[in-house]
Amino acid sequence: MKTKKSVWLAMLLLVCVLLAFGATRSGGPLTQQDRIDLVTSRLACPTCSGESVFVSQASAAQAIRIEVARQVAAGIRTDDEIISYIEQRFGSQVLLVPRSTGIDSLVWSLPVAVLIVAMALLVSAFARWGRREPGYPSAADETLVKNALAETAQDSNES
Amino acid sequence: MRSKYLVKIVSSVVALVLVLLLWVLIVSEPDDGQVARSPLLGQPAPAIVTATIDDQPFDLQRRKGSWVVLNFFNSTCVPCINEHPLLVDFANREATNDNGAELYTVVNDDSDGSVRDFFSKNGGDWKKLRDENGAIAVALGVARVPETWVIDPNGLVRLRVTGELSAGLLEAQLDKLRDEFTS
Repeated sequence: MKTKKSVWLAMLLLVCVLLAFGATRSGGPLTQQDRIDLVTSRLACPTCSGESVFVSQASAAQAIRIEVARQVAAGIRTDDEIISYIEQRFGSQVLLVPRSTGIDSLVWSLPVAVLIVAMALLVSAFARWGRREPGYPSAADETLVKNALAETAQDSNES
Repeated sequence: MRSKYLVKIVSSVVALVLVLLLWVLIVSEPDDGQVARSPLLGQPAPAIVTATIDDQPFDLQRRKGSWVVLNFFNSTCVPCINEHPLLVDFANREATNDNGAELYTVVNDDSDGSVRDFFSKNGGDWKKLRDENGAIAVALGVARVPETWVIDPNGLVRLRVTGELSAGLLEAQLDKLRDEFTS
């Protein structure tokens, strides 16, 4: 029992360490082309459905790609600022990854909230079932069983 | 008993959300060739420095003092072709006005030759601006043509019309803006 608990604890610790490592590690310096690809893959083509600016061949997407490349080359704006610039002009529908602020943040927070509530409900339901006392047969139940057993015994004697 | 209440509450919340969604659908305005919103309205127009298809330089900054109308156009776009006679009428009307607007076509993803051919057949002697790499379209957030923008004499963006113009819309909107913003 103790070993099982320590295995679970070790696994939990490993997951926490890996998550912390993944969240804080740096991907290293990006080239200009990497930045352009990264930014354009976060933007939706405004004239086509389901395609990013990165992959789309539509003229509007090409124009946005060129503008992103120009701004990256100018080196004045960060990636997020370039995305905000495009969003201010074309609207929030060009964002492939919803923002973590305002009403858009519901996309991120709602599933987590639902998960937490569901887990809490499950835990409370399991706890309730665990606490429930085992049922005892009533006098009527016992009479039924007695009668049934007597009938079975009788049948076996006759045969 | 408790679960009965819970079911009632959950179903009421779901029904409320559905009613709200329906209400949003009913009251939201369609965006079909009408005045459209833009975060740029009331803001300084982006820098537009380009050349006409006849290689004359154009700088929007130098047009301050005049009302400027930019119409994004492509000679193969059907709504652009449909609205062209309205733009010709608009340009003629503005030419007779002391405070008349200057109309410019912004060529969107089209060749100089095709645009010249179109205008020689259909009329319209205003200037046609090249939009190299779609830079003007991106600066204003134009994804589809036609689209029409109005910039006031102070260089502030005042109007955006997406889609095909309806008869009299541009004139009415511009008159309203002139009344409101001309001191």
